[in-house]
Amino acid sequence: MKIALYDSGVGNLHSLEKAFDRAVPGARITIESSALAATRAELLVLPGVGGWGALDLRAAGPILKGALEAGLPCVGVCLGMQMLFERSEEAPGDGIGFLRGDVTLLRSPRRPHMGWSALSPAAHVGELKLPDAVYYAHSFACRPAPTVRVLATTTVEGDTFPAIVEQGRTIGVQFHPEKSSSAGLELLAALVRRVAA
Amino acid sequence: MSANLRRLVVCLDVDSGRVKKGVRFEGLRDVGDPVELAARYEAEGADEIVFLDITATVQGRAAWLDVVRRTAEALFIPLTVGGGVRTVEDVAGALRAGADKVALNSAAVADPTLLSRAAQRFGAQCVVLSIDARRDATRPSGYRVVTHGGRTDTELDAVEWARAGARLGAGEILLTSIDRDGARDGYELQLTRKVADAVLVPVVASGGAGLAEHVVRVLGETRADAALVAGILHDGVTTIARLKDAMSRGGVATRGRGACSMQAS
Repeated sequence: MKIALYDSGVGNLHSLEKAFDRAVPGARITIESSALAATRAELLVLPGVGGWGALDLRAAGPILKGALEAGLPCVGVCLGMQMLFERSEEAPGDGIGFLRGDVTLLRSPRRPHMGWSALSPAAHVGELKLPDAVYYAHSFACRPAPTVRVLATTTVEGDTFPAIVEQGRTIGVQFHPEKSSSAGLELLAALVRRVAA
Repeated sequence: MSANLRRLVVCLDVDSGRVKKGVRFEGLRDVGDPVELAARYEAEGADEIVFLDITATVQGRAAWLDVVRRTAEALFIPLTVGGGVRTVEDVAGALRAGADKVALNSAAVADPTLLSRAAQRFGAQCVVLSIDARRDATRPSGYRVVTHGGRTDTELDAVEWARAGARLGAGEILLTSIDRDGARDGYELQLTRKVADAVLVPVVASGGAGLAEHVVRVLGETRADAALVAGILHDGVTTIARLKDAMSRGGVATRGRGACSMQAS
Protein backbone atom coordinates (compact mmCIF):
# COMPACT_ATOMS: atom_id res chain seq x y z
CA MET A 1 0.00 0.00 0.00
CA LYS A 2 1.26 3.49 -0.93
CA ILE A 3 0.98 5.78 2.09
CA ALA A 4 1.70 9.51 1.94
CA LEU A 5 2.33 11.58 5.06
CA TYR A 6 1.33 15.12 4.26
CA ASP A 7 4.05 17.43 5.59
CA SER A 8 2.57 20.82 6.38
CA GLY A 9 5.97 21.87 7.66
CA VAL A 10 4.84 21.86 11.27
CA GLY A 11 6.72 19.04 12.92
CA ASN A 12 8.69 15.84 13.09
CA LEU A 13 6.87 13.15 11.14
CA HIS A 14 9.27 10.33 11.77
CA SER A 15 7.53 8.65 14.70
CA LEU A 16 4.30 8.43 12.72
CA GLU A 17 6.20 7.14 9.70
CA LYS A 18 7.78 4.32 11.66
CA ALA A 19 4.42 3.47 13.30
CA PHE A 20 2.74 3.03 9.89
CA ASP A 21 5.77 1.10 8.72
CA ARG A 22 5.33 -1.29 11.65
CA ALA A 23 1.51 -1.44 11.56
CA VAL A 24 0.99 -1.89 7.82
CA PRO A 25 3.13 -4.70 6.42
CA GLY A 26 4.49 -3.93 2.97
CA ALA A 27 3.64 -0.22 3.19
CA ARG A 28 5.59 2.15 0.96
CA ILE A 29 5.63 5.41 2.86
CA THR A 30 6.60 8.79 1.49
CA ILE A 31 6.57 12.24 3.06
CA GLU A 32 5.01 14.79 0.71
CA SER A 33 5.02 18.55 1.14
CA SER A 34 2.84 18.95 -1.96
CA ALA A 35 -0.86 18.32 -1.36
CA LEU A 36 -1.27 17.13 -4.95
CA ALA A 37 1.48 14.53 -4.57
CA ALA A 38 0.10 13.46 -1.17
CA THR A 39 -3.37 12.83 -2.60
CA ARG A 40 -1.98 10.47 -5.26
CA ALA A 41 -1.21 7.82 -2.60
CA GLU A 42 -3.60 5.01 -1.62
CA LEU A 43 -3.76 6.32 1.95
CA LEU A 44 -3.32 9.92 3.03
CA VAL A 45 -2.03 10.55 6.54
CA LEU A 46 -2.45 13.96 8.15
CA PRO A 47 0.13 14.07 10.95
CA GLY A 48 -0.30 15.95 14.16
CA VAL A 49 2.60 17.80 15.64
CA GLY A 50 2.61 21.53 16.24
CA GLY A 51 -0.10 24.14 16.40
CA TRP A 52 -2.92 25.51 14.25
CA GLY A 53 -1.10 28.83 14.00
CA ALA A 54 1.70 27.26 11.96
CA LEU A 55 -0.73 25.69 9.46
CA ASP A 56 -1.30 27.32 6.11
CA LEU A 57 -4.00 25.45 4.22
CA ARG A 58 -5.00 28.26 1.84
CA ALA A 59 -3.60 26.44 -1.19
CA ALA A 60 -3.60 22.84 0.08
CA GLY A 61 -6.99 22.81 1.85
CA PRO A 62 -9.24 22.69 -1.24
CA ILE A 63 -7.03 19.99 -2.84
CA LEU A 64 -7.15 17.81 0.27
CA LYS A 65 -10.89 18.37 0.74
CA GLY A 66 -11.60 17.42 -2.86
CA ALA A 67 -9.60 14.21 -2.53
CA LEU A 68 -11.38 13.22 0.70
CA GLU A 69 -14.79 13.93 -0.84
CA ALA A 70 -13.79 11.75 -3.80
CA GLY A 71 -13.17 8.87 -1.35
CA LEU A 72 -9.41 8.89 -0.75
CA PRO A 73 -8.77 6.86 2.44
CA CYS A 74 -7.34 9.14 5.11
CA VAL A 75 -6.18 8.98 8.73
CA GLY A 76 -5.61 12.24 10.62
CA VAL A 77 -3.75 12.22 13.93
CA CYS A 78 -4.10 14.89 16.67
CA LEU A 79 -3.64 18.23 14.85
CA GLY A 80 -4.17 16.17 11.69
CA MET A 81 -7.65 15.29 13.00
CA GLN A 82 -8.34 18.86 14.01
CA MET A 83 -7.39 20.22 10.58
CA LEU A 84 -10.17 18.13 9.02
CA PHE A 85 -12.64 20.52 10.69
CA GLU A 86 -13.56 24.08 9.77
CA ARG A 87 -11.78 26.33 12.25
CA SER A 88 -10.01 26.40 15.59
CA GLU A 89 -10.01 28.69 18.61
CA GLU A 90 -6.25 28.23 18.71
CA ALA A 91 -5.48 30.56 15.80
CA PRO A 92 -7.08 32.16 12.73
CA GLY A 93 -7.08 30.42 9.38
CA ASP A 94 -9.40 27.83 7.83
CA GLY A 95 -9.09 24.10 8.27
CA ILE A 96 -9.74 21.66 5.44
CA GLY A 97 -13.44 21.79 6.27
CA PHE A 98 -14.14 18.20 5.25
CA LEU A 99 -15.75 17.64 8.66
CA ARG A 100 -18.31 20.08 10.01
CA GLY A 101 -17.51 21.55 13.39
CA ASP A 102 -14.96 23.55 15.33
CA VAL A 103 -11.89 22.96 17.44
CA THR A 104 -11.97 24.53 20.90
CA LEU A 105 -9.80 24.72 23.99
CA LEU A 106 -10.28 21.82 26.41
CA ARG A 107 -12.65 22.80 29.20
CA SER A 108 -10.59 21.06 31.87
CA PRO A 109 -8.42 23.51 33.84
CA ARG A 110 -5.46 21.16 33.56
CA ARG A 111 -3.91 21.81 30.17
CA PRO A 112 -2.23 20.46 28.16
CA HIS A 113 -3.94 17.12 28.61
CA MET A 114 -0.90 14.86 28.58
CA GLY A 115 -0.80 11.22 29.40
CA TRP A 116 -2.74 7.99 29.08
CA SER A 117 -6.53 8.12 29.15
CA ALA A 118 -9.27 5.55 28.73
CA LEU A 119 -11.36 5.30 25.55
CA SER A 120 -15.14 4.85 25.72
CA PRO A 121 -16.87 3.31 22.70
CA ALA A 122 -19.50 5.56 21.06
CA ALA A 123 -22.50 4.81 18.85
CA HIS A 124 -20.63 4.18 15.60
CA VAL A 125 -17.74 2.06 16.88
CA GLY A 126 -19.02 -1.06 15.09
CA GLU A 127 -16.50 -3.87 14.89
CA LEU A 128 -13.53 -1.71 15.80
CA LYS A 129 -11.59 -3.11 18.76
CA LEU A 130 -10.45 -0.26 21.03
CA PRO A 131 -7.39 -0.25 23.27
CA ASP A 132 -8.10 0.32 26.98
CA ALA A 133 -5.90 3.39 27.08
CA VAL A 134 -4.14 5.68 24.63
CA TYR A 135 -1.60 8.48 24.90
CA TYR A 136 -2.71 12.10 24.53
CA ALA A 137 -0.78 15.37 24.26
CA HIS A 138 -3.12 18.25 23.35
CA SER A 139 -4.84 21.38 24.61
CA PHE A 140 -7.59 21.60 21.98
CA ALA A 141 -10.38 19.19 21.06
CA CYS A 142 -12.83 18.79 18.17
CA ARG A 143 -16.51 19.64 18.61
CA PRO A 144 -18.10 17.92 15.62
CA ALA A 145 -21.51 18.65 14.13
CA PRO A 146 -24.04 15.79 14.57
CA THR A 147 -23.38 14.65 10.99
CA VAL A 148 -19.87 13.44 11.94
CA ARG A 149 -19.77 9.84 13.19
CA VAL A 150 -18.08 9.51 16.60
CA LEU A 151 -16.51 6.08 17.24
CA ALA A 152 -15.02 6.72 20.68
CA THR A 153 -14.75 9.45 23.27
CA THR A 154 -12.49 10.37 26.16
CA THR A 155 -13.51 12.29 29.25
CA VAL A 156 -11.06 14.47 31.13
CA GLU A 157 -12.23 16.32 34.22
CA GLY A 158 -15.78 16.56 33.01
CA ASP A 159 -15.01 17.43 29.39
CA THR A 160 -16.04 14.66 26.99
CA PHE A 161 -14.55 15.02 23.52
CA PRO A 162 -14.31 12.75 20.48
CA ALA A 163 -11.28 10.46 20.47
CA ILE A 164 -12.06 8.92 17.06
CA VAL A 165 -14.32 10.36 14.36
CA GLU A 166 -15.23 9.06 10.92
CA GLN A 167 -16.85 10.29 7.76
CA GLY A 168 -16.73 8.37 4.52
CA ARG A 169 -13.27 6.85 4.27
CA THR A 170 -11.67 9.41 6.57
CA ILE A 171 -10.86 8.76 10.24
CA GLY A 172 -9.45 11.25 12.70
CA VAL A 173 -7.93 10.38 16.10
CA GLN A 174 -7.18 12.95 18.78
CA PHE A 175 -4.63 10.81 20.64
CA HIS A 176 -1.28 9.48 19.43
CA PRO A 177 -1.53 5.82 18.35
CA GLU A 178 2.19 5.99 17.48
CA LYS A 179 2.89 6.69 21.17
CA SER A 180 0.37 4.19 22.56
CA SER A 181 2.64 1.14 22.46
CA SER A 182 1.63 -2.15 20.83
CA ALA A 183 -2.09 -1.53 21.39
CA GLY A 184 -1.77 1.76 19.51
CA LEU A 185 -0.08 0.06 16.56
CA GLU A 186 -2.79 -2.59 16.46
CA LEU A 187 -5.44 0.12 16.41
CA LEU A 188 -3.60 1.95 13.63
CA ALA A 189 -3.59 -1.26 11.58
CA ALA A 190 -7.32 -1.70 12.20
CA LEU A 191 -8.05 1.92 11.21
CA VAL A 192 -6.12 1.50 7.96
CA ARG A 193 -8.08 -1.68 7.19
CA ARG A 194 -11.33 0.15 7.96
CA VAL A 195 -10.73 3.18 5.73
CA ALA A 196 -9.09 1.23 2.92
CA ALA A 197 -11.66 -1.60 2.83
CA MET B 1 -15.29 12.69 36.46
CA SER B 2 -12.32 10.90 35.03
CA ALA B 3 -8.77 12.10 35.03
CA ASN B 4 -5.64 10.84 33.40
CA LEU B 5 -4.51 7.36 34.24
CA ARG B 6 -1.48 7.58 36.49
CA ARG B 7 1.80 6.92 34.71
CA LEU B 8 4.76 4.77 35.62
CA VAL B 9 7.80 6.46 34.13
CA VAL B 10 11.12 4.67 33.83
CA CYS B 11 14.25 6.80 33.98
CA LEU B 12 17.57 5.86 32.43
CA ASP B 13 20.64 7.89 33.37
CA VAL B 14 22.91 7.74 30.34
CA ASP B 15 26.66 8.32 30.61
CA SER B 16 28.72 8.10 27.41
CA GLY B 17 26.13 5.87 25.75
CA ARG B 18 25.57 3.47 28.68
CA VAL B 19 22.89 3.41 31.36
CA LYS B 20 24.36 4.12 34.79
CA LYS B 21 22.87 4.29 38.22
CA GLY B 22 24.35 6.06 41.21
CA VAL B 23 23.39 6.90 44.75
CA ARG B 24 22.99 10.63 45.27
CA PHE B 25 24.82 11.25 42.00
CA GLU B 26 27.95 9.48 43.21
CA GLY B 27 29.43 6.03 42.63
CA LEU B 28 28.05 5.28 39.15
CA ARG B 29 27.46 1.71 38.11
CA ASP B 30 26.92 0.39 34.53
CA VAL B 31 23.52 -1.27 34.18
CA GLY B 32 23.17 -1.74 30.43
CA ASP B 33 22.53 -0.53 26.89
CA PRO B 34 19.97 2.30 26.74
CA VAL B 35 18.27 1.19 23.52
CA GLU B 36 17.78 -2.39 24.74
CA LEU B 37 16.67 -1.34 28.20
CA ALA B 38 14.17 1.23 26.94
CA ALA B 39 12.58 -1.25 24.52
CA ARG B 40 12.44 -3.92 27.22
CA TYR B 41 10.72 -1.58 29.66
CA GLU B 42 8.15 -0.63 27.02
CA ALA B 43 7.42 -4.30 26.35
CA GLU B 44 6.99 -4.83 30.10
CA GLY B 45 4.41 -2.04 30.31
CA ALA B 46 6.26 1.21 31.11
CA ASP B 47 4.10 4.22 30.23
CA GLU B 48 6.98 6.50 29.35
CA ILE B 49 10.76 6.62 29.24
CA VAL B 50 12.97 9.44 30.50
CA PHE B 51 16.59 9.67 29.37
CA LEU B 52 18.85 11.91 31.38
CA ASP B 53 22.28 12.59 29.95
CA ILE B 54 24.76 12.60 32.82
CA THR B 55 27.83 12.53 30.57
CA ALA B 56 30.60 14.79 31.74
CA THR B 57 32.99 14.50 28.79
CA VAL B 58 32.83 16.31 25.46
CA GLN B 59 33.30 13.08 23.47
CA GLY B 60 30.42 11.49 25.36
CA ARG B 61 28.17 14.44 24.56
CA ALA B 62 28.62 13.88 20.84
CA ALA B 63 27.27 10.36 21.20
CA TRP B 64 24.20 11.55 23.10
CA LEU B 65 21.91 12.51 20.22
CA ASP B 66 22.81 9.28 18.47
CA VAL B 67 21.64 7.32 21.52
CA VAL B 68 18.41 9.37 21.60
CA ARG B 69 17.88 8.70 17.88
CA ARG B 70 18.43 4.95 18.13
CA THR B 71 16.21 4.69 21.20
CA ALA B 72 13.38 6.77 19.71
CA GLU B 73 13.53 4.50 16.67
CA ALA B 74 12.76 1.47 18.82
CA LEU B 75 10.08 3.02 21.06
CA PHE B 76 6.32 3.44 20.64
CA ILE B 77 5.74 5.27 23.92
CA PRO B 78 6.72 8.84 24.78
CA LEU B 79 10.39 9.62 25.32
CA THR B 80 11.54 12.59 27.40
CA VAL B 81 15.18 13.59 27.25
CA GLY B 82 17.12 15.94 29.48
CA GLY B 83 20.53 16.71 30.83
CA GLY B 84 22.72 19.48 29.51
CA VAL B 85 19.96 21.11 27.45
CA ARG B 86 20.97 24.78 27.36
CA THR B 87 19.40 26.49 24.36
CA VAL B 88 16.31 26.45 22.18
CA GLU B 89 18.57 24.91 19.52
CA ASP B 90 19.42 22.05 21.93
CA VAL B 91 15.67 21.49 22.37
CA ALA B 92 15.20 21.46 18.60
CA GLY B 93 18.05 18.97 18.21
CA ALA B 94 16.58 16.57 20.77
CA LEU B 95 13.11 16.78 19.18
CA ARG B 96 14.61 16.18 15.74
CA ALA B 97 16.38 13.12 17.12
CA GLY B 98 12.96 11.75 18.07
CA ALA B 99 12.35 12.93 21.64
CA ASP B 100 8.74 13.83 22.42
CA LYS B 101 9.58 16.13 25.32
CA VAL B 102 12.70 17.88 26.48
CA ALA B 103 13.51 18.52 30.13
CA LEU B 104 15.17 21.81 31.09
CA ASN B 105 16.82 22.20 34.48
CA SER B 106 19.86 24.38 35.28
CA ALA B 107 19.57 26.39 32.06
CA ALA B 108 15.97 27.35 32.89
CA VAL B 109 17.06 28.56 36.33
CA ALA B 110 19.77 30.67 34.70
CA ASP B 111 17.37 32.04 32.08
CA PRO B 112 13.66 31.38 32.68
CA THR B 113 12.77 32.82 29.25
CA LEU B 114 14.21 29.60 27.81
CA LEU B 115 10.94 27.93 28.93
CA SER B 116 8.73 30.46 27.18
CA ARG B 117 10.86 30.54 24.05
CA ALA B 118 10.87 26.74 23.79
CA ALA B 119 7.11 26.55 24.48
CA GLN B 120 6.32 29.19 21.86
CA ARG B 121 8.36 27.42 19.23
CA PHE B 122 7.51 23.77 19.96
CA GLY B 123 4.39 23.84 22.16
CA ALA B 124 4.06 23.47 25.93
CA GLN B 125 3.53 19.72 25.54
CA CYS B 126 7.23 19.34 24.55
CA VAL B 127 8.63 21.38 27.41
CA VAL B 128 9.33 19.78 30.78
CA LEU B 129 10.71 21.78 33.69
CA SER B 130 12.97 19.53 35.71
CA ILE B 131 13.32 20.73 39.30
CA ASP B 132 15.80 19.28 41.79
CA ALA B 133 14.72 20.23 45.31
CA ARG B 134 16.28 19.85 48.72
CA ARG B 135 14.70 20.29 52.15
CA ASP B 136 15.54 23.72 53.47
CA ALA B 137 13.62 25.37 56.26
CA THR B 138 14.74 28.83 55.15
CA ARG B 139 12.56 28.63 51.99
CA PRO B 140 8.81 29.40 52.29
CA SER B 141 7.72 25.94 51.13
CA GLY B 142 10.50 24.19 53.03
CA TYR B 143 12.25 23.20 49.80
CA ARG B 144 15.05 24.95 47.93
CA VAL B 145 15.81 24.52 44.22
CA VAL B 146 19.30 23.16 43.60
CA THR B 147 21.08 22.56 40.29
CA HIS B 148 23.98 20.57 38.88
CA GLY B 149 22.85 17.36 40.51
CA GLY B 150 22.46 19.01 43.88
CA ARG B 151 25.92 20.56 44.02
CA THR B 152 24.77 24.15 43.49
CA ASP B 153 22.22 26.01 45.60
CA THR B 154 19.88 28.59 44.09
CA GLU B 155 17.81 31.20 45.90
CA LEU B 156 14.58 29.78 44.46
CA ASP B 157 11.78 28.20 46.44
CA ALA B 158 10.75 24.90 44.81
CA VAL B 159 6.99 25.52 44.84
CA GLU B 160 7.34 29.10 43.61
CA TRP B 161 9.65 27.98 40.82
CA ALA B 162 7.24 25.25 39.73
CA ARG B 163 4.43 27.80 39.60
CA ALA B 164 6.58 30.27 37.62
CA GLY B 165 7.78 27.55 35.26
CA ALA B 166 4.25 26.42 34.44
CA ARG B 167 3.24 30.03 33.85
CA LEU B 168 6.19 30.51 31.49
CA GLY B 169 5.15 27.55 29.38
CA ALA B 170 6.39 24.29 30.88
CA GLY B 171 3.80 21.60 30.09
CA GLU B 172 5.00 19.25 32.79
CA ILE B 173 7.12 19.32 35.96
CA LEU B 174 9.66 16.59 36.67
CA LEU B 175 10.21 16.96 40.40
CA THR B 176 13.19 15.24 41.99
CA SER B 177 13.90 15.14 45.69
CA ILE B 178 17.67 15.26 46.05
CA ASP B 179 17.30 14.10 49.65
CA ARG B 180 15.58 10.91 48.51
CA ASP B 181 17.29 10.28 45.17
CA GLY B 182 18.74 6.78 45.13
CA ALA B 183 18.00 6.23 48.82
CA ARG B 184 15.01 3.95 48.17
CA ASP B 185 13.15 4.95 51.31
CA GLY B 186 10.11 6.45 49.59
CA TYR B 187 9.21 9.60 47.66
CA GLU B 188 9.24 13.00 49.35
CA LEU B 189 5.46 13.12 49.76
CA GLN B 190 5.21 16.60 51.22
CA LEU B 191 7.27 18.17 48.43
CA THR B 192 5.27 16.30 45.79
CA ARG B 193 1.97 17.28 47.38
CA LYS B 194 2.90 20.95 47.62
CA VAL B 195 4.06 21.22 44.01
CA ALA B 196 1.24 19.13 42.54
CA ASP B 197 -1.33 21.26 44.41
CA ALA B 198 0.32 24.48 43.19
CA VAL B 199 0.30 23.85 39.42
CA LEU B 200 -2.23 22.70 36.84
CA VAL B 201 0.30 20.88 34.66
CA PRO B 202 1.20 17.22 35.30
CA VAL B 203 3.84 16.52 37.94
CA VAL B 204 6.17 13.53 37.74
CA ALA B 205 7.44 12.56 41.21
CA SER B 206 11.03 11.38 41.29
CA GLY B 207 13.55 10.24 43.86
CA GLY B 208 13.13 7.59 46.51
CA ALA B 209 11.34 4.64 44.91
CA GLY B 210 12.38 1.52 46.80
CA LEU B 211 9.21 -0.56 47.00
CA ALA B 212 5.97 -0.85 45.04
CA GLU B 213 4.26 0.61 48.09
CA HIS B 214 6.20 3.87 47.63
CA VAL B 215 4.79 4.26 44.11
CA VAL B 216 1.27 3.54 45.36
CA ARG B 217 1.63 6.08 48.17
CA VAL B 218 2.96 8.96 46.07
CA LEU B 219 0.21 8.50 43.48
CA GLY B 220 -2.51 7.71 46.04
CA GLU B 221 -1.70 10.50 48.48
CA THR B 222 -0.72 13.37 46.15
CA ARG B 223 -2.00 14.80 42.87
CA ALA B 224 1.17 13.74 41.03
CA ASP B 225 0.32 12.32 37.59
CA ALA B 226 3.27 10.01 37.41
CA ALA B 227 5.91 8.25 39.47
CA LEU B 228 9.42 7.86 38.17
CA VAL B 229 11.39 4.71 38.92
CA ALA B 230 14.90 3.72 37.94
CA GLY B 231 17.33 1.77 40.08
CA ILE B 232 14.85 -0.71 41.53
CA LEU B 233 14.04 -1.89 38.02
CA HIS B 234 17.61 -1.93 36.74
CA ASP B 235 18.65 -4.01 39.77
CA GLY B 236 15.76 -6.43 39.41
CA VAL B 237 14.42 -5.54 42.87
CA THR B 238 10.97 -5.42 41.27
CA THR B 239 9.36 -5.42 37.82
CA ILE B 240 6.97 -3.11 36.02
CA ALA B 241 4.30 -5.80 36.15
CA ARG B 242 4.60 -6.00 39.93
CA LEU B 243 4.52 -2.22 40.28
CA LYS B 244 1.44 -2.00 38.08
CA ASP B 245 -0.28 -4.79 40.02
CA ALA B 246 0.42 -2.94 43.25
CA MET B 247 -0.99 0.28 41.74
CA SER B 248 -4.21 -1.47 40.70
CA ARG B 249 -4.58 -3.17 44.07
CA GLY B 250 -3.88 0.15 45.80
CA GLY B 251 -6.68 1.88 43.90
CA VAL B 252 -4.44 3.90 41.58
CA ALA B 253 -5.96 3.90 38.08
CA THR B 254 -3.31 3.04 35.52
CA ARG B 255 -2.91 1.55 32.08
CA GLY B 256 -2.95 -2.25 32.09
CA ARG B 257 0.24 -4.01 31.21
CA GLY B 258 0.46 -3.81 27.40
CA ALA B 259 0.59 -7.16 25.69
CA CYS B 260 3.31 -7.09 23.07
CA SER B 261 1.80 -9.03 20.21
CA MET B 262 2.80 -6.70 17.37
CA GLN B 263 5.80 -8.13 15.58
CA ALA B 264 8.30 -6.21 13.51
CA SER B 265 7.47 -6.41 9.82
